[in-house]
Amino acid sequence: MSHSSEAAPSPAFLAEETRRYHHFITLALWLAVITGAEIVLIFLPVPMPVVLTVLTLMSVGKFFAVILWFMHLIYDKRLLLWIFVAALALVCATFAGLLALLSADRIDTKWFS
Amino acid sequence: MSDTAVAHEAPTSTGIDHKKLIMWLFLASDCMFFGTLISTHLLYRKLYPAGFTDAEGHQRFIQNLFNIELTSFSTFILLMSSFLMALAVSAMHKGQIKSFRRNVLGVIFFGLIFLGCQVFEFTHFYHEGLTIQNSVLGSTFYVLTGTHGTHVAIGVLWLILMYFYSFTGKLGGHMGALDVEVAGLYWHFVDIVWIIIFTAVYLVEYLGPNGFWGTGLPAVTK
Repeated sequence: MSHSSEAAPSPAFLAEETRRYHHFITLALWLAVITGAEIVLIFLPVPMPVVLTVLTLMSVGKFFAVILWFMHLIYDKRLLLWIFVAALALVCATFAGLLALLSADRIDTKWFS
Repeated sequence: MSDTAVAHEAPTSTGIDHKKLIMWLFLASDCMFFGTLISTHLLYRKLYPAGFTDAEGHQRFIQNLFNIELTSFSTFILLMSSFLMALAVSAMHKGQIKSFRRNVLGVIFFGLIFLGCQVFEFTHFYHEGLTIQNSVLGSTFYVLTGTHGTHVAIGVLWLILMYFYSFTGKLGGHMGALDVEVAGLYWHFVDIVWIIIFTAVYLVEYLGPNGFWGTGLPAVTK
C-alpha cells in the first residue's frame, strides 16, 4: 500500500494501484446507480415491507462497498476490519437495547424510586 | 491483504502504521457515536410520529418539508467526493502530486456544495417552523444531521490545509501518503454515515401515504 520516501514505486506496486483505480471507477458508478434506484424505489407502488427490506439491503451494500474498497479494508490487515466490525456490533446491540427498552408497554417504576 | 500492502510497512507490533491504526480506532468510536444518534432519532420517530407544531400552531409533518431532490443531489455529491478522495489517495501512493491536488480540490469543492445544501435545508426548515427546541423531531434531526455536517466541515478544513501543505514539498514519500490515506479514511467515514442517514432519516419518510412512521393521528373511518 505504501512505498518508501526514497525509492520510486515498483512496477508491481503501480500495476496494483492501477487495478484499484479501475475498481474505484466501477464502484463509483455502482454507488450512483444504487442511489438512483433507491430514489425511484420509494415512489413505486410496492408493499412497504418489500421497499424497506430492499432499501436496507441497498444501504448496507453501499456502506460495506465504501468500507471495503474506498477505505481499503479489503486490502489491509484483518485487524482493522475486526475493530470496525466490533464497533458495528456494539451499535446494533445499542439499537436493539434501546428498542427493547423504549418499546416496553409497561415499565415498573418501583425500580427507579 | 495484498503483498504490496505489507512490503514497506513500518515495523510495528501489529504490522499496521500507528497513524492508520489510531484513525481506525477513532472511526470505530465515532461509529458508535453516530450509531447512538441514529438510533435515538429512529426510536423517537417511533414514539412521537406526529411531527411538529409551527409558530402559528399548525400541525406539520416532516414528509411535507423534506426536499428529496435536494437531499438526493447532496447524497450523490458526497458519494462522488468519496470517489475523488479514493483517487487522491491512489495518486499520492503513486507519487503523482499534481493528480493528488486536482482530486483533493474536487473533494473540497464537493464538500462545500454538500455543506451549502445542508445550510439551505436547515434555513428552509427553520423558516417553516422546525426548530431544535419545538419538538422531539427537531431536536433529534438537527443534532444528528448537524453533527454530521460538523464532521464534513472538519474534513473540508483538513483537506484545505493538506492541499496548501502539499506546496511546501513536505507532503511526499511514505509518510505523506500515509497522512493523505488517514485523511481519506476520515472522509470516507463521513460518506458512509451519510449513506445510512439518507435511508434511515430521509427515504423512510416517503414510504406509504403518511411515511413509515405515520402521522400519529387517529385513522379516519368513512
